Amino acid sequence: MRGILLAKFTTFIRNPWVFLLFTVMSIGFTLIIGYTGGNGEKITVPVAGAEEVRTGSIGKALEGNEVYHFKWQEEADMKEIVRLGEAEAGIIMEEAGYEMFIRVETPNVQLIEQTIADIYTEKIRESQVLELFQGETAAEEKAFLTAYHEAMDQPLFEITNDNFRNADSYQFDQGLHAIFGFTLFFVIYTIGYNVLPILTEKKEGIWDRMILSPLKKWEIYLANLVYSFFEGYLQIIIIFSVFHYFVGVDFYGELAGILLIMLAYTFTIVSLGIFVTALVKNIQQFNAVLPIISVSMAMIGGAFWPLEVVQSDILLALSKINPLTYGMEALNNLVLYNLPFEEILMPVSILILMGVIFMGVGIHLMEKRHI
Amino acid sequence: MLELIDITKKYKQTKAVKNMNMYIEKGEIVGLLGPNGAGKSTAISILSSLLEPTSGDVKFRNKSMIKNPKSLRQIIGIVPQEIALYEDLSAEENMKFFGRIYRLKGEKLKNKISEVLEQIGLADRRKDVVKTFSGGMKRRLNIGVAMLHDPEILIMDEPTVGIDPQSRNYILQTVKRLNKERQMTVLYTSHYMEEVEYLCDRIYIMDKGNLIASGTKDEIKQILASENTIYLKADYWNESFITKLQEKPQIHQMKVEGNEIVLVVSKDVAIFSKLAHLAEETSVQLRAVDVKQVTLEDVFLHLTGRALRD
Ligand SMILES: Nc1ncnc2c1ncn2[C@@H]1O[C@H](COP(=O)(O)OP(=O)(O)OP(=O)(O)O)[C@@H](O)[C@H]1O
Ligand SMILES: [Mg+2]
Repeated sequence: MRGILLAKFTTFIRNPWVFLLFTVMSIGFTLIIGYTGGNGEKITVPVAGAEEVRTGSIGKALEGNEVYHFKWQEEADMKEIVRLGEAEAGIIMEEAGYEMFIRVETPNVQLIEQTIADIYTEKIRESQVLELFQGETAAEEKAFLTAYHEAMDQPLFEITNDNFRNADSYQFDQGLHAIFGFTLFFVIYTIGYNVLPILTEKKEGIWDRMILSPLKKWEIYLANLVYSFFEGYLQIIIIFSVFHYFVGVDFYGELAGILLIMLAYTFTIVSLGIFVTALVKNIQQFNAVLPIISVSMAMIGGAFWPLEVVQSDILLALSKINPLTYGMEALNNLVLYNLPFEEILMPVSILILMGVIFMGVGIHLMEKRHI
Repeated sequence: MLELIDITKKYKQTKAVKNMNMYIEKGEIVGLLGPNGAGKSTAISILSSLLEPTSGDVKFRNKSMIKNPKSLRQIIGIVPQEIALYEDLSAEENMKFFGRIYRLKGEKLKNKISEVLEQIGLADRRKDVVKTFSGGMKRRLNIGVAMLHDPEILIMDEPTVGIDPQSRNYILQTVKRLNKERQMTVLYTSHYMEEVEYLCDRIYIMDKGNLIASGTKDEIKQILASENTIYLKADYWNESFITKLQEKPQIHQMKVEGNEIVLVVSKDVAIFSKLAHLAEETSVQLRAVDVKQVTLEDVFLHLTGRALRD
């Protein structure tokens, strides 16, 4: 077994290009999509309200929001949009208060509500201040409010709002999502192309030579699995290190937890690789199938966009048998939503279970088909 | 020493090997000959315990090897049809790898590697990566790797496919030498008649999963003892010459290959005057008429009606 690993590592060191390519692509895509553009990536929230609300102070406050793009709609249209799931929430705005329509309770919905509530709090504070002022004319009041806002912008002391995922950190999360998504996506290729040699070695006869030698069959499999696992995990460590040490992403202090979750994910993808390798007939088929599997896994698993925007029931059902879904879920629960340990253990357990099943069925098929 | 008994191997649509019987004795070079898809690789995979037959038995020293092939596996070396090497490793590293999996270590492994590299003529390229080798060099290393653990039986699956004549001669001579000097038993698979004729004591000929002939070289050629092979040459043939030839009952086999026609005819028939007459009649200018010794190629043509390399 040591011999097989040595041969594989030597091959890797002499020919690391595929590995490097996917690592660089992973980092590159994350930088392009996660860390540029910024405001172009605002989430749209439909709002409804009367004309005076739209043009009044509430309308202005909504317009100035840096995180969400609030889009004015007729009330019926807004409700329809929410009902179809095209937006996570919609809001009816009135001068005195607001009403929210929600399809599913997501962390994002809470943040939207927080944002709206802040606007109303500010409005109430303004009117209270105005009452104290008791200005005579509208012009006087306006001048006073301007002064008030200027004063607010230069406070005597500042209370920073360190609630996770506040307006300033949102852009950051977009970046995190991209890191997670692209890492989980590209590592499928890296691992896939490391499991593939089993197929070529079987075809060419290296495998036959090993079978005839005193090597045990489980040693041959184990060496291959350990090696593929190593390379996949190495890629993950490299990507996260680059973002941690060079880009300065702090992962909310959860880097260790992320890497633990990734152990389970890497194992599952190695198993998936074995399973796919056992199903295909030749290298050409493998090359055709791998991108289909990885891209569809990424699309319905929430690597490219949040799973909340997926509407089709079929796709949602498919996402339930997709390892990538659980990888994203575990990572998001840990880092973004800061959920308790059980909420992380659950997707991780599912990942490991899937890994065991793929591996068992995959090796069984390989043995049966004598490729 | 090693035998196949009534072996059949079925794949979904094809029967790759049908009721095959075969044996190899110690110290022999046995040839297994057949065109593409004949079932040679399948047969030797079964023989070397890599593939389970659908029915039949594999016996080594009179013990069945189907369930427990350990004793057989220890003493065979296989040379797969494809290059079964790590392309990114050097010749020496490949040898180290395949030696280690046979539990060879240290000085012993080192000496063995030097010895085999010498035998296959790659001693001066030992540090070079296999990727940079020519086809012939890869083939030689493919063979060398199978000899590290001193196998008693060397099973070679088309070891000379697609290489230059020099490398090919080198390989053939090496095989012959191994057999002479070390009494190594060899099963040599090929679709080149001349290789098998040069190397082998006994020969099996397969076609479409069937064993169609077996025996010593002479025994097999005896199949055609009562017949002659005649080669006709001309600048061009015309239709009527060929159709009229086909109508002649004395001609058992006939094959047109460019400006050459190969005929298998009964020995006792006086065919020459008839051929000359026919050529005149159809205005074909015969350039040469040649009677040759029977070759295995002719036997194959005789048995299957097809040339071996079609
Ligand atoms: N794994 C397999 N599944 C299905 N059919 C197979 C398989 N392996 C071989 N065959 C079929 O069995 C037949 C014999 O194949 P085999 O490889 O033994 O021929 P061969 O004599 O070695 O030919 P070649 O000279 O091309 O190597 C062929 O028709 C082939 O298509
Ligand atoms: Mg073959």
